[in-house]
Amino acid sequence: MRIGVYICHCGLNIAGVVDIEVLLKQVESLDDVVIASDIQFMCSDSGQDKIAEDIEEHNVERVLVAACTPKLHETTFRNVLEKSGINPFLLEIVNIREQCSWVHMDNPRMATQKAFDLIKMGVAKLKFLKPLKIQSTPVSKEVLVIGGGVAGIEAALDLADTGYKVHMIEKEPTIGGKMALLNEVFPTNDCSICVLAPKMTEVVNHPDIELHTLSEITAIEGSVGNFEITGTTQPRYVSEEKCKGCVDECSRVCPVEIPSRFDSGLGKTRAINIPIPQAVPQVAYIDSDYCVGCGLCAQACPADAVEFEQQTIRFQLNVGAIIIAAGYRLFDASRKEEYGYGIYPDVITNMELERLLNASGPTRGRVTCPSTGEIAEEVAFIQCVGSRDESVGNPYCSRVCCMSAMKNAQLLKERYPDIRITIHYIDIRASGEMYEEYYTKTQAKGVDFVRGRVAEIVQEHDDSLSLRYENTLESRIEEKKYDLVILSTGMEADPSAKPIGNMLKMANRPDRFFAVSHPKMKPVDSHINGVFLAGCASGPKEIQVSIAQGSAAASRVMRLLQPGELRTDPLSAHVDSDTCIGCGVCADVCDYGTIKIKNGKAFVDEVSCHGCGTCSAACPVDAISMHHHTDEQVRAQIKAALEVKDEFPLIVAFLCNWCSYASADLAGTSRIQYPTNVRIIKVMCAGRVDPDFVMEAFEMGADGVLVAGCRLGECHYVHGNYHAQTRMENLGEVLKEAGFDSGRLRVEWISAAEGEKFANTIEDFVDYLTAIGPIGSELEEADR
Amino acid sequence: MAGAPSIEEVIEDFNVLKCMQCGVCSGSCPSGRQASLNVRRLVRKIGRDHAAICDESLWMCTTCYNCQERCPRGIAIVDVILAVRSIAAHEGLILERHRHVAYLLQEHGHAVPIDDTHKEKRMQLGLNSLPSTVHSHPDDLKDVKHLLASCGFGEITGRKE
Repeated sequence: MRIGVYICHCGLNIAGVVDIEVLLKQVESLDDVVIASDIQFMCSDSGQDKIAEDIEEHNVERVLVAACTPKLHETTFRNVLEKSGINPFLLEIVNIREQCSWVHMDNPRMATQKAFDLIKMGVAKLKFLKPLKIQSTPVSKEVLVIGGGVAGIEAALDLADTGYKVHMIEKEPTIGGKMALLNEVFPTNDCSICVLAPKMTEVVNHPDIELHTLSEITAIEGSVGNFEITGTTQPRYVSEEKCKGCVDECSRVCPVEIPSRFDSGLGKTRAINIPIPQAVPQVAYIDSDYCVGCGLCAQACPADAVEFEQQTIRFQLNVGAIIIAAGYRLFDASRKEEYGYGIYPDVITNMELERLLNASGPTRGRVTCPSTGEIAEEVAFIQCVGSRDESVGNPYCSRVCCMSAMKNAQLLKERYPDIRITIHYIDIRASGEMYEEYYTKTQAKGVDFVRGRVAEIVQEHDDSLSLRYENTLESRIEEKKYDLVILSTGMEADPSAKPIGNMLKMANRPDRFFAVSHPKMKPVDSHINGVFLAGCASGPKEIQVSIAQGSAAASRVMRLLQPGELRTDPLSAHVDSDTCIGCGVCADVCDYGTIKIKNGKAFVDEVSCHGCGTCSAACPVDAISMHHHTDEQVRAQIKAALEVKDEFPLIVAFLCNWCSYASADLAGTSRIQYPTNVRIIKVMCAGRVDPDFVMEAFEMGADGVLVAGCRLGECHYVHGNYHAQTRMENLGEVLKEAGFDSGRLRVEWISAAEGEKFANTIEDFVDYLTAIGPIGSELEEADR
Repeated sequence: MAGAPSIEEVIEDFNVLKCMQCGVCSGSCPSGRQASLNVRRLVRKIGRDHAAICDESLWMCTTCYNCQERCPRGIAIVDVILAVRSIAAHEGLILERHRHVAYLLQEHGHAVPIDDTHKEKRMQLGLNSLPSTVHSHPDDLKDVKHLLASCGFGEITGRKE
């Protein structure tokens, strides 16, 4: 094997502290190193050329670059190798700037020695590196959109207009979601259906959108690029092709009157109906829960569209990506017993008020008290019903209820100028664009705002309703009568979306909504490759944000599928099926659902693998290797770090690529000085650290081992650091039982922004180890 | 003798600072509709001001637990009030009427000992004139007194009448 080692001066950044001449001499003596050179600025064009020339002239097969952090120039030097005809993965970068010269400025001798150790570790790893290939697999350019609410509609239209084939799945007989039921929408007070209906129609008429209403997903196999979807469509009992949408003909003769679900049960409809006048598709459907099968509708239908013989249909799709826009459900107000919803007829929800206000609703737009049928004179809104309330398991704010209560208060005031309205709130949340102005406008219209969560509603002997609350602005306990009380019910995760989450192994937040990949930086990506989230499936949102997310999710899908093929991550996990015993531990720890057990063997989908290595560390028979971070590569680094113990104490540190390694880099760029006693091994995730690595380091003489990852809850691989935490806690117990000081194994969560914390950790660890002595001294002491 | 926790410990253990001052506690408080107690303000004061232990309204709570049931931030409000009362008692801060109740408990084994009116009422209802407590078993009163004495109840609640 012919290895070339290149040491960069980085001007004086490295050479000002590290003695390059001494270092070169040491490096030249290493086995397999055929050439060792120093270069002033290796990243410069001339520096790169020098490496390329050597590769040709000296027939160099593998390259080690000792310079700055790999985060800066790994790609640069990989390109040099590729241009010179060497596989770009036969490169190892050793970080002697951020880890030596910038952090050990006062100790040039040990900085130089440490630099040599790091190079030795790099050479050891380099010998085991394997040429890797990036492979491509073709992808399906079809997309599944789950949910036909406003977020799903926006996503579907964006994709279809760009030329992608979209399958939209909606469980209801019509698309439009909750928005189609609203009367008017803030902050513009537009008629909701007027702005939405054109988009709904566009969906059904679009040549590239296939709409499946009354449908559900029953199974999802495969992975990004090629998801195999199975679903079912419930019979509508009315032919979508034949039905003309006249509905009056069939509905008029139907003898079964039922409460209309789409009017929150306030209005009545028939067993054959069109759920809302603007329904899409504009086709009747028979509610099989209620239909008695009399056949009158079939006789009445002028188009012969009624088809009682329809059966459930199973369908299959192959899609490259999935957008989950499954929406939300409203909090069940009867759970707050103190408000008497469902018992007191004049206590209604905000959605019921929307239907009452709606010109096509059950009262044709008249807002009356259900008990009397009279127009209400004194109206109260109670905010935060089922939101900001840990007693019902919903600690979050539902974000839209303040605005929608204000909107409905405005509309009531406009329609009935003499009406008196009070909004009982805790805090008014009006933080969107033009929202504060909307709040001001509502106040100016004479709507009263009383601060204080309403304690209870009591029905007096004369059947009138009284609200009990503290007016916290006055510090006064009050009781006030109202004719109509509106409960601003919050949003909850829709449980009907849960099975889809389970099929895809999606992560849920404690509030039960789907978790996104990063709450700030990746608002519409899920943890699962190829699965995106839009709208309220990932938490309460107003309409404009849902639309923006629909668009965002569509553009993420385009970015993914546009090339028509997916490149495998060369750093993925790989199962040696001869060794694998099919125990399934790897499949359990994989937070991406990428590993499946097939025919008694684990199978990694290398296209969707994120490369964290948690599976590899968990495998009891070491059957899973991580390309580019194999067990033998890591072991070679450990061995090289410890074969000559040139200082005491000596710490081997496993740092995750994303946060802790970056924190060490930051300590370097910030010139924070810390002791030289640490030798760093970079892994992709703390979850990659196999307890065997730690044990081997101790066996070979490490005085301490540090395992550091991202802060808990911030792992770049969902829960990799939690897996590491569990393993290392157990290992600490093992150490203790074996008579070692368990403090020799230290686990820290250090973010990329915590350079100082990294430096302090090393300093503190060195002090601790100095105090307890070299590894094994506690055993000798115990013997004595 | 075990002392009461500090007010800082109470604040931390019960997460008092989580309070968002929504007022559902005070609105739900049956005592607050009659007496000077405002639970919301009391909770706020406990979280910010050591003088809360001197606040007379601390003793107005009937411990009906309405507020605790409804608190949307899950603060165990009544338990907080009881813990702060305990601190106040250790500081010798108890309302005179409560001191008297404590005295009655020590002397008679009942915070509200039975009187002739209640004896008569019990008999009208076909019950024994005395409940089956220490009232019926005077020998056991010694044990109750011993128990209270061993936890320093008399010392904490102040004086012996």
